[in-house]
Amino acid sequence: MPVLRLPKFGVPVKYAYITGRVRAMKTKLIPAEMYPRMMSMDLSEIARYLEETQYKDEIDALSKDYSGVELIEHATFANLAKTFRKLEEVAIDEPSFLILEYLRRWDVWNIKTLLRGKFYGANDTEIAKHLVPAGELSAEYLDELAKKGSISEIISAFDGTDYASALAQYDGKNLASLENALDKLYYFRLERSVGGTLSVGGGLLLKYVRREIDIKNLITLFRMNKAGVDAAIIQENLIPGGKLHDELSRMAGQPFGEFLRSLEGYPFWSSISDIATVDLDAVSRIEARLRAYLIRYAWALSNYHPLSILPVLGYMVSKETEVSNIRKIARGKDAGLPAELVEEQVVVA
Amino acid sequence: MAVVADAGSLYGLLAVGAGLATGLAGIGAGMGEQGIGAAVVGVVAEEPGFLGKGLFLMLLPETLIIFGLAVSLILMFAWTPFAGIVTP
Repeated sequence: MPVLRLPKFGVPVKYAYITGRVRAMKTKLIPAEMYPRMMSMDLSEIARYLEETQYKDEIDALSKDYSGVELIEHATFANLAKTFRKLEEVAIDEPSFLILEYLRRWDVWNIKTLLRGKFYGANDTEIAKHLVPAGELSAEYLDELAKKGSISEIISAFDGTDYASALAQYDGKNLASLENALDKLYYFRLERSVGGTLSVGGGLLLKYVRREIDIKNLITLFRMNKAGVDAAIIQENLIPGGKLHDELSRMAGQPFGEFLRSLEGYPFWSSISDIATVDLDAVSRIEARLRAYLIRYAWALSNYHPLSILPVLGYMVSKETEVSNIRKIARGKDAGLPAELVEEQVVVA
Repeated sequence: MAVVADAGSLYGLLAVGAGLATGLAGIGAGMGEQGIGAAVVGVVAEEPGFLGKGLFLMLLPETLIIFGLAVSLILMFAWTPFAGIVTP
């Protein structure tokens, strides 16, 4: 149901500080033209380059214990967590609340990482390496959870929280359904807590998040329709809450060519039209393009609402993408993948 | 019809108007500056080199007060419609 959101006098001013700050922080992000140059560097050169950027502190601190791709991976995640925690701490009132609600996705990520690590028998230091304490759960608490012996102990630690309902779906064999339930829970909670605030800022956050859900569902559709999965199974995997949910769920199970034709005319079509053909070889290329579209969307929206949560959101999405780009390049180099393959995966908005 | 007014109270109203001109301009400039000031502090926290430009932007609404002040001064000292009735 559409809700009338009235601007409150004085509220935009609360965003002035945080938007000014993120716009300055945006200038420190790695420029797009650096990625091709990073592709031609080796791992130690990439680490040296990162030392000249905002990742300096993390690279310096971690270079004692790690080197090569490990160093880059840890430094990027540590920097991501630090940056997002900083944003949350420097914001006040409504922006702070909205940022935390958005950042809960990293709680979900951490819970997934913990469960996946335990499922495959990784030890606690190995799991702790891949945790990003950017959400509500603190680094200490997550470390404590990582030390627990089994999946059921971790699940019981979340008894009484919102996560319990999703975690109860764990059947001992399969993590996929549990992970899907956690994703759905995250979006459901976001909609519930932000949708209830009736503020303009909350509405704008939801507007972006709905588009994000659509894009996620679209990627699921691309993957599953390409593989010829049954419509009922695809629909089960779609996250509810997106703006185009009904239209996208109708596209589930369609033959690939027909599916592509039905996408024409949507706003995201122009960013994938040249590569979305029936003989598409890798969905990850589409994924990278759609991700870039999402970043452009967040920044474009923020031009209409300069004093709102949207510039912060745009920054957070850009930063996440930057970290994943650096990690992709580093991992690709480490695994000896051809440069073109890595280049396709790098998201440049 | 002869204007029946106490010259002193008319002059008093003039002074109130002059006060409002400067005072309201000040409030308006302050409201404008609060957002700019907050944003400038945010940017300077990340980029200390922006302080000079930031201060300039922050002081732009201050020009409004000068307009207000100019109107006040005109009202008080230059514009004298009651010159005829106000006798020293």
